[in-house]
Amino acid sequence: MPEVRIIAKNFMDMVASMPAMKLDKLYENGFICEAILRSLPPLGKKYVLQLLHIDVPVAAKLLEEWVLPDGYTKHRVAIDRLVQLRVFVEAVDRKNDKTYKLNPTFQKSLQQLLVHGGTLPREPMPSNITVRLPNLEDLEAYALQQWECFLLQLISSSLVEKPSNISSSLMKVFQRRLLSQRDKEAPKLTESGFQFLLMETNAQLWYIIREYISNSEERGVDAADLISFMLELSFHVIGEAYNINSLTDFQRSIIRDLADLGLVKLQQGRKESWFIPTKLATNLSVSLADSSSRKEGFVVVETNFRVYAYSTSRLHCEILRLFSKVEYQLPNLIVGAITKESLYNAFENGITAEQIISFLQQNAHPRVADRTPTVPENVTDQIRLWESDLNRVEMTEAYYYDEFPSRVCKLVSEMYLKVHVTLPENGTVCYGKTRRKCTWWLRPGYIHTYESIYAAKSRSKMQRPYGMVHLHPANVLWKTRKQKFALSFAPWKGNRWKKQWGHTLGHYSLLV
Amino acid sequence: MVNAIKGVFISCDIPMAQYIINMNASVPASDKFIIHILDSTHMFVQPQVEQMIRSQIAKFREDNTYVKPN
Repeated sequence: MPEVRIIAKNFMDMVASMPAMKLDKLYENGFICEAILRSLPPLGKKYVLQLLHIDVPVAAKLLEEWVLPDGYTKHRVAIDRLVQLRVFVEAVDRKNDKTYKLNPTFQKSLQQLLVHGGTLPREPMPSNITVRLPNLEDLEAYALQQWECFLLQLISSSLVEKPSNISSSLMKVFQRRLLSQRDKEAPKLTESGFQFLLMETNAQLWYIIREYISNSEERGVDAADLISFMLELSFHVIGEAYNINSLTDFQRSIIRDLADLGLVKLQQGRKESWFIPTKLATNLSVSLADSSSRKEGFVVVETNFRVYAYSTSRLHCEILRLFSKVEYQLPNLIVGAITKESLYNAFENGITAEQIISFLQQNAHPRVADRTPTVPENVTDQIRLWESDLNRVEMTEAYYYDEFPSRVCKLVSEMYLKVHVTLPENGTVCYGKTRRKCTWWLRPGYIHTYESIYAAKSRSKMQRPYGMVHLHPANVLWKTRKQKFALSFAPWKGNRWKKQWGHTLGHYSLLV
Repeated sequence: MVNAIKGVFISCDIPMAQYIINMNASVPASDKFIIHILDSTHMFVQPQVEQMIRSQIAKFREDNTYVKPN
């Protein structure tokens, strides 16, 4: 089964991949600098703060001296990240040493932020105008409901035609990766769509935002403005109302889309209208690793393969229907069973056993969440066994070479045999067979599977197989002018691989 | 001169390997697809039978499954 996985990449990776000019423009905003600072690894944060008020370039060697020798890899990771985000500017000074300096725009914005404190471009509205302000729980319920409605659109548009109240721009975001639509059929969920449904909420949110931003380029909206607005939004206080008039036209059009997703709530008073950011909005600048908010789980899995989900949401029902057979649906409970057929269905749709198991573990009901293991081992083992049952046979394209003339094969043990082959595509497995006095040895580093390698006895009349070599591009030694690739084999002495290189006897060309 | 043959390299467990060898034996002589049997878990077959082997294995698996009538 092909392993197609969608990776929930961090928002910051997307920011890092933007071109230099746009990134510099982004850094003029103090909040973006703060968001980027938050996303750096701890060493990176330290370096930025230490170099914040230094105007001259600092030698790279000096930075290395700040770290103990066993922290060197962390140091390298931090420096690479900083250079990638263009926070650090690399230069070479007169003595040809590498130096680092903070990006001037970044430096200025951050200094201003520290000195003046972060003031949002808008103030929360006074409470005499904002009546009917929802309290925090209502807000969270609203956000959850909008998000579920959005996701339900994803599932039900693949099952049933339903009028959608979500703007067309957001639907396009969906259709790009998650739904595949053919001309007369109803839109169907793709493999990535199924995997998307089983991801965590935060990961799903970033995926959608990332698609939305990459989509915006096609619509003519500037990605940098969009990112700066979103990062600004993540610094607003949850539950406080902000006047819509304080937004630019461009931002106003975005706000409507964000309200559909559940990131903000729009409300209207007598004269003014305002928006209230929810928890989903403030989660935008939080990195994937430290997701602290753990919403309540609802799934109990028992050792008899039954699944009880204490939930009223349709979305949960649909997700459970993906991999289990839902038997009863009561007002507050969904009862189902994990069966072989339901799992085979899920595997055919491209979901892997690991995703199902991690979904069950992450959404475990608080009653069972404390027990280890959260999901019973017999269930997890059986899910994995059923998955591997579908993959019992592995087939790869290969070429079979035989009848090497014995002249080439009379090798002394320290010699190499170099064989030139042309690779039609990557990773072809090549199986070699030799005659009796043959010597076809394979070096351990180049072998991916060598379970069935036998040493040829020189007196044996039987032609014994020699083993498999996986012709992976990493095994390529050099390219000749005619674009042929070379493979090399090293000697096997008795039972052990000899680890040294010898010199070559000659080479042999095979054209396939 | 060295001979090169194009085909499909199959790597599986021993029962499956025996099943494929059995399938090969039951097919008429002109259709035999195994080129070489390398050892108890690997073999080399002709390229066009890949799909046929997969569908036969799926059918074999389904024949051995019992679904309780609901």
